[in-house]
Amino acid sequence: MSDFYEVTKIAETDKYATYDFFFGPNHPGMHGNFGYVCDVVGSTITRVRVNAGQLHRGFEKLMEQNLWFQNISLIPRICVPDPDPNEVAYCTAVERLMGIEIPIRAKFLRSLTLEMSRMTSLLMGMGALGAMMGLYSIMYRMMNERDRVLDFFEWLTGARIYHIYNLPGGVRRDLPEGFAAKLESLLDDMEYNLREWDSLLFENPVVHRRLKGIGKISADEAVNYGLVGPNLRATGFTADVRKDDPYAAYPFLDFHIITTEGGDALARAVQVRKEYEAAIQLIRKILEAMPGGEFKVYLGNPLKFTVPAGDTYARVESSKGEYGYYVVSNGGLKPYRISVRGPSLPAGLSLCHKHLPGMRIDDVAIWMASFSVCPPDFDR
Amino acid sequence: MARKLRKLLAGVTVNERYGNRMELVTDGQRAVSTLVVLKSSGFEHLSNITCVDWIDENRMDVTYNLWSYTHRLHAVIKAQTHRDAPEVSTALDIWPQAQVYEREIHEMFGVEFTGNPDLSPLFLHNWRDIPPLRKDFDTEEYSRRAYGVVDGVEEAGV
Repeated sequence: MSDFYEVTKIAETDKYATYDFFFGPNHPGMHGNFGYVCDVVGSTITRVRVNAGQLHRGFEKLMEQNLWFQNISLIPRICVPDPDPNEVAYCTAVERLMGIEIPIRAKFLRSLTLEMSRMTSLLMGMGALGAMMGLYSIMYRMMNERDRVLDFFEWLTGARIYHIYNLPGGVRRDLPEGFAAKLESLLDDMEYNLREWDSLLFENPVVHRRLKGIGKISADEAVNYGLVGPNLRATGFTADVRKDDPYAAYPFLDFHIITTEGGDALARAVQVRKEYEAAIQLIRKILEAMPGGEFKVYLGNPLKFTVPAGDTYARVESSKGEYGYYVVSNGGLKPYRISVRGPSLPAGLSLCHKHLPGMRIDDVAIWMASFSVCPPDFDR
Repeated sequence: MARKLRKLLAGVTVNERYGNRMELVTDGQRAVSTLVVLKSSGFEHLSNITCVDWIDENRMDVTYNLWSYTHRLHAVIKAQTHRDAPEVSTALDIWPQAQVYEREIHEMFGVEFTGNPDLSPLFLHNWRDIPPLRKDFDTEEYSRRAYGVVDGVEEAGV
């Protein structure tokens, strides 16, 4: 049996040897069964290849074989940490094709779930960033915090992770009695805890020195590469789907687009912290302005439900940026074609070829966490 | 904007719809020049590239979703190609991430992107069948052929 070093050695000169290094599909720094195959000399990466496919579940083909309403239970599974943008993007596309307007209370309830989902996802992202630097206690504390929001999801929708709450025509349930008051007190608590996150992570000099300069990108380059969401706004570029192409209740809410200058991993971490704080405040505004009335329109028998022929592209601002559903209908009982635009694709599959070579092995996980690369949304 | 684009792009149908959205229909040869014109007119952001297989009309539509941060407009460009030999020029020189989308579409639909240097399989391993997202690919038939049929097991005590 040959030596391990011999097996992974792929080239050798008289000065140095190049080894194959598999970062994932099973690695603590990798979220989901995805991987990079890196050529390394010492601990420096010289070339990177994408090792995708282990996570591919054929969602787009599956969706063509299901009824319009059946797909609702399938789509949240595309992105585990942040499932609601999938539901809302799909429902928005279907409603636009049908030419119907949902009740205003349903719009506010959608925005509420989207912002709660954003909080859970950002908490997971910030925790993961801490864990990638070896600060595991932050991860545990933040996962605990995330679970407290999931309790409210369970109360509102009946499920913790895959809520299946938004349906074409509105939402599935109304707000339970006493929900708003309890959620308010949780938000107060979470806002108070921000001080702890600041001292543990965002104002920690060790973290600053570790993150500064990793994965630096300019605004022009970020736009050209198709980066979206916090990654784009951390370069100082002002763009947000919630403002630019409003959906759900965002036209009725008063909020601003937050940006950070810098464009490196530190700027992205600061941007995520700002967005987390903004999400807390936005949920307060949603609860305050929550109108009364119906929470859904009845669209007839789901088994005989059809959508008029046509195609449209609906966009939603998820915690990672623009989440898009391109929906094509031929007027039948099932969608003709659905294509999903995951927000992580530009960074995870394209930008990695530019950024990772030259980095050290231990920077890869930090690079991925700082761009919040979530492989399930492109390897779907 | 639609009027301006109609002037700039001869032979491309431009339709306005759903408020801030536009639809442009073109063919495989003119797709890239259309995209270049659109990018210089303010459509900086490539949301995604996808493909729709219209099997009854023997046509494949390679579809580009663009967004303009400047004008807050969405444009969908449909490059219609023949289904028997679908071919579109690559958009790799306009947006670098187009490379990955094209690689995926080549794998899933069999569309040829001329000028793209790397169209190797991305997601599928050792795939020897027709591209799986085409409409004539039957998943159930494939799984029966590839993995066989297991006879139903009678449960004990029934």
